[in-house]
Amino acid sequence: MQSSFDLQYIIELMPILLKYLGVTMEMALWGFLFALIIALTLALVRVFKIAVIQHIASLYISFFRGTPLLVQLFLLYYGFPQFMPIFVGMDAFTAAIIGLSLHFSAYMAESMRAAILGIDKSQMEACLSIGMTRLQAMKRIILPQASRVATPSLMNYFIDMIKSTSLAFTLGVAEIMAKAQMEASSSFKFFESFLAVAVIYWVVVIFFTRIQHLLEYKLNKAY
Amino acid sequence: MKLFFKKALVALVAVSSLLTVPAFAQQTVKVGMSGRYFPFTFSKQDKLQGFEVDVWNEIAKRSDYKVEFITASFSGLFGMLEAGHIDTISNQITITDARKAKYAFSMPYVIDGVQVTVRKGRDDIQGIEDLKGKKVAVNLGSNFEEVLRKYDTNKEINIVTYDTGIEQDVALGRADAFVMDRVSSVQLIKEAGLPLQLAGHPFEEIQNAMPFLNKPSQLAIRDQVNVALTEMRADGKLAEISNKWFDTDITQ
Repeated sequence: MQSSFDLQYIIELMPILLKYLGVTMEMALWGFLFALIIALTLALVRVFKIAVIQHIASLYISFFRGTPLLVQLFLLYYGFPQFMPIFVGMDAFTAAIIGLSLHFSAYMAESMRAAILGIDKSQMEACLSIGMTRLQAMKRIILPQASRVATPSLMNYFIDMIKSTSLAFTLGVAEIMAKAQMEASSSFKFFESFLAVAVIYWVVVIFFTRIQHLLEYKLNKAY
Repeated sequence: MKLFFKKALVALVAVSSLLTVPAFAQQTVKVGMSGRYFPFTFSKQDKLQGFEVDVWNEIAKRSDYKVEFITASFSGLFGMLEAGHIDTISNQITITDARKAKYAFSMPYVIDGVQVTVRKGRDDIQGIEDLKGKKVAVNLGSNFEEVLRKYDTNKEINIVTYDTGIEQDVALGRADAFVMDRVSSVQLIKEAGLPLQLAGHPFEEIQNAMPFLNKPSQLAIRDQVNVALTEMRADGKLAEISNKWFDTDITQ
């Protein structure tokens, strides 16, 4: 190979890529927020075994876990608009957030359900015996404990989601991976460009891993 | 609660109408491109530029349209066109029969040929007839696979599709050759600094144009684009843009 490693290029590329880190993080944070809401709903529906809806929840989880994220994004952004014109107005950024939250909520619902089921049955029985409703018991007693158990695996999904935003360029979202690819296409410094983008993802993930440790420390204080 | 719903609904309708109306009023043409096809469309120092960008800025100057460039992976561009997220694709889209059946093309703005490129020193490959039994790289979603298959009636060429970096793999020796249009092959070799060389002469003339959906509203844009392109061809502007990027006129 003629070309040699160009550190200078990475240093010059970094500020350009960092400008688009905001887009990446916005997608990941919004996606995670919506995924949390959907996942909690799904998990509760399945834990309470609510008639009919629990089967819909199972189907949802089965579909979104059973098909690749990229396929789901393509369906959402390229497929649906052909049948439902309402989707044409949806921009790529929104589609990416919807796609990410639908996809990851399916996984997160299962780890939340596992965390809830992991809390001893006797606690729910105790709550019911002193007159709480099942929902009250869930909110006051079970969920606070379950959230502690679920935190590490949910953070796992968040980290995965940050990295999965790199698929959004296939929909036309200009995020850091898109920029790295586009800059590499004119400089031909593929190794440097992708190394730069890898380092950014890594540093971001390390940052959130630190936050996870702090969060776990807080949640574990009572124990 | 009911009142809240009503208010929310009114607000939603108001916001959504705000979002859609100005887009029509300003007559913005959304042009999709990969941003990864040097020197047609690429980004340098965070600035989108290239032949396609110059052509469209000139079209905008000569028509009533504003141009908005939307970059997406090449494999996503036709989906975006179908779904109505963009009005056209400006990424050296070759006119083929299959595409012609589906889309309304503008007039061709680039005339080119299909070119085989190999690693420097691979003199055993001098054109398409030497590709039998070789591993040949093409870009995912491009029409060069189709072109190759047409010549490769006995299915003797091992065609591999890539999403990115085909020149890299040929330079590394992982693939024996890649097939692309002549113009960008020349450009790649010149700019990439990779050990690559053209293998023989280009074959099969190809015409590149911009596809639009076959709908009255889209055909109206197409017609305006054609008027602008005809003017640009006549007064030499198109050739000028070509010379700026390629040192040669690829539009004839």
